[in-house]
Amino acid sequence: MQPAIAQMSLIEEFTAAATQAVASVQLADRSPRALCNAILQAVGDAPRILYAPPHELPAELFSEFAADPRVRANPTPEEMVGSAAGVTEAFAAVASTGSVCIDVSFERTGMVSLLAPLQVAVVAAETIVPQPRDLFRADVLGGRGLERDFAFVTGPSATADMGPLVRGVHGPHRLHIIVLR
Amino acid sequence: MAHLADPADISPRQVANKSDKKALRDAIRMTLGVQSAAIRHNTQTFNRNRYAATSRLADYNQLKDRARQIKEDAIAHLPELLRQLEASVRANGGHFYLAKTAAEADQYIRDVLLRHQVRLVVKGKSITSEETRLNHALEAAGVTVAETDLAEFILQVADEQPSHIVAPALHYSRERITALFKRKFTTDLPLDTGEELTKFAREKLRQQFIAADAGISGANLIAADSGSLMLVESEGNIRMTTTLPPLHIAIAGIEKVVPSRTDFGTFIELLPRSGTGQPLTSYVSILHPPLKAPSFAAPGKTARPREFHMVLIDNGRGHMREDPVLREALYCIRCSACLNSCANFETVGGHAFGGETYSGGIGGSWEAGTGKLLNARFSELCSGCLRCLPQCPVRIDVPWLNENLRQRINFEQPASAAKSAFGARTGSAPEDRVAPLQKQFFANYDAIARSAMRFPWLANAAMHLPFARSLMESVVGLDRRRRLRPFPRKTWEQVYRGQNGRAPTAESAAPRMLMLADVFTNYGSPERGMAAMRVLREVGVDVGLGPALPDGRSAISQGMIETARQKANAMAQALLPYIDQGIAICVLEPSVLAMLRLDYAHLLDPTTWARFRRGNFLEPMQAVWSVAQEQRLDLARIFPADRSQFGIRVFCHSQCQQRTCEAAGETLSVLAAAGFDVATSSVECCGMAGSFGYKREYYELSMAVGEDLFAQIRAAEQDGPRILVASGTSCHEQLWAGMGRDVLHPAELLLSTLG
Repeated sequence: MQPAIAQMSLIEEFTAAATQAVASVQLADRSPRALCNAILQAVGDAPRILYAPPHELPAELFSEFAADPRVRANPTPEEMVGSAAGVTEAFAAVASTGSVCIDVSFERTGMVSLLAPLQVAVVAAETIVPQPRDLFRADVLGGRGLERDFAFVTGPSATADMGPLVRGVHGPHRLHIIVLR
Repeated sequence: MAHLADPADISPRQVANKSDKKALRDAIRMTLGVQSAAIRHNTQTFNRNRYAATSRLADYNQLKDRARQIKEDAIAHLPELLRQLEASVRANGGHFYLAKTAAEADQYIRDVLLRHQVRLVVKGKSITSEETRLNHALEAAGVTVAETDLAEFILQVADEQPSHIVAPALHYSRERITALFKRKFTTDLPLDTGEELTKFAREKLRQQFIAADAGISGANLIAADSGSLMLVESEGNIRMTTTLPPLHIAIAGIEKVVPSRTDFGTFIELLPRSGTGQPLTSYVSILHPPLKAPSFAAPGKTARPREFHMVLIDNGRGHMREDPVLREALYCIRCSACLNSCANFETVGGHAFGGETYSGGIGGSWEAGTGKLLNARFSELCSGCLRCLPQCPVRIDVPWLNENLRQRINFEQPASAAKSAFGARTGSAPEDRVAPLQKQFFANYDAIARSAMRFPWLANAAMHLPFARSLMESVVGLDRRRRLRPFPRKTWEQVYRGQNGRAPTAESAAPRMLMLADVFTNYGSPERGMAAMRVLREVGVDVGLGPALPDGRSAISQGMIETARQKANAMAQALLPYIDQGIAICVLEPSVLAMLRLDYAHLLDPTTWARFRRGNFLEPMQAVWSVAQEQRLDLARIFPADRSQFGIRVFCHSQCQQRTCEAAGETLSVLAAAGFDVATSSVECCGMAGSFGYKREYYELSMAVGEDLFAQIRAAEQDGPRILVASGTSCHEQLWAGMGRDVLHPAELLLSTLG
């Protein structure tokens, strides 16, 4: 297969698996305007949005979104635990499982991706890898998966401990993924 | 009869330690009475999901081989890996402590918390901390422990031990959780749905996360090269525990260490799929703490610098490593596949099939390894059905471990003249004559049947005296509610010789296929054996009846390994001449087929096994199917189903060991090709499992296990009755007990089409 076609089919596989894991997936163009629209559409009328600036994607891409008055890039502790949505980048994604990989070693990225009921993750299409095991290879994504502190996030938090399957436990109740074309 | 307590009045803690037999009996009654429905639902969901999730892994078997290899290497080099890990953790800026005992681990953690003046600690699920009784130690020191995994939260509220290594409270139905919370908490919330209960617990625990000074987690795997942890969860509480508080302590057993973070790639594919049957759980964290990101500062407080302690415990694991049997358990990655694929576990869960901390098939080895041998007595509930064997991601032969635990427990029994004389008379190996009478009785079924067959009419008459049944029940524990099939007038061997003359030898006039006269068919149902041979000849297979020899299955299942070894060796000597000539060996009884194909690996010496394993051992319907495929036979013409007096509607139950040997599918294919309308079961085991269901102490459990199968038959018969078909002798008896009808062997069904 041509690399471009292979990446296309990875996006399709990723979308199907993430949907299966009860995440929502949206494709967006790689521009500040398109990304801002995609995020704001996902968060709806959330009165306050936590935001952890990116380390992989250019910060410029998030500039329009970051200018929204509801966005908090430096939240107080009260805001950290009391916001409706949290937006971060994901440095990789996994096609077979529909997971996004969130680096938790930068400032508040771990908390922003964890504490709000709605989690929004932004991932670049070219960082989708076929299987979870690929994150543990030195020759994939520059070996980042072997160096970083990160979490594979697959769907919202869930439990079956209280009897039936319930989505939304200690972590987010919903996960929305924006894939940048 | 002694007064028995109401099952609802038996508390799980009271029966957690089963070194005493009465605790095991009470635990079975309690779980069957109170917990069984929830356990069945939850474990069977995991089980179905695991089959589906692993079937989607294209290289599942290679991954299992790789996982096994990594664990074998890791345990082999454990001392070096621990030194490397210590250096890695310190280089990351963390602290490392290796505790020899549970008490040392608890004391270290307590001291760290007290040094930091920690009043409240949030905790992620850690079965290892259950092993050390960490909560108890911390609370005694004045530290409040908040279990944040919802299952552990339930257990903390209820004061119970885990009943499952992955989902520790899966014995609780939603209704029972509601009742528990209403009893223990004052709240106006209704708590009548899973959502409401989850919301209630979440809000309670969210306050604890925010206020906590420290977090304690376990670890699924630890990489020596980098000090990395792999943490698998779905609720998000482990991410909270490891991300928010400034102080993080991870506690784990030393066996969790693997050489490299690259090894996580193998286990991340296998562990969630083998456990809950998800491709991945919601969160899998890969961390080498202390984290670089700042900790959470609660409102009004300032963020404190992070500190990390890795506490690894030995607590018996070093000895397990030196023990050729228990060493296998150190390879376990605690996925729970052997629990969820076990019909007995699915019915009673870990409060009966488990000890103070660990449960299920693998749990006995862990309880024995980290505690006392007799704590593993619950591993008696492993019936040796072998269904867990293909499920283990690190290829641990769990039934073999349990047979060894049984042997060790047998060896702890005092010798007696009666046991010794009985054993000598029935063929127990000298070492095994200390085993209880019940075990020696079931182990030596062949000798008992052989002597009964000298005067079958007398044995049959005696067996049916009410006095005889109560005597058998009290002396050898053979439950009187079980039907005992009358001994036939002649053995299979005698019937066959009467028609065909002497048994063929390997040297002269060797047939293409040798039929083994297994003890169960030989002394139990010669007509089935003759039917199978007739069916084979009908498709042109030249088959002769071989020697009638015990295979050792009944002995190994009682933990009488030396007796089984003797029988295996005699069997191997008798069969090797045929095997060397390439003569296929056909085995009617699936439990014997599994013995020859799988269990003999443990019983024969390596040289003999290398020769023996080359044998082509197959089940009769496998032989029929392969000939039909090779020669493009039209089975509908040879065995026209519509000519059978039993009709064409069939319910076929595949025997547990037959499925593990991958020798079951052909039966369904043959019957369908002949024109039968075949419905089949999806249960792991009928519950009889050889002698298991005959035992007085397990009769109720065995019948409860069977209920799933009986329900599937009733469902398949809603549009009309079906003739019951099964290949295993003990399945026949269980189906008879549950459905009150006779059962046919597939060969007997095919024979009925021949007119």
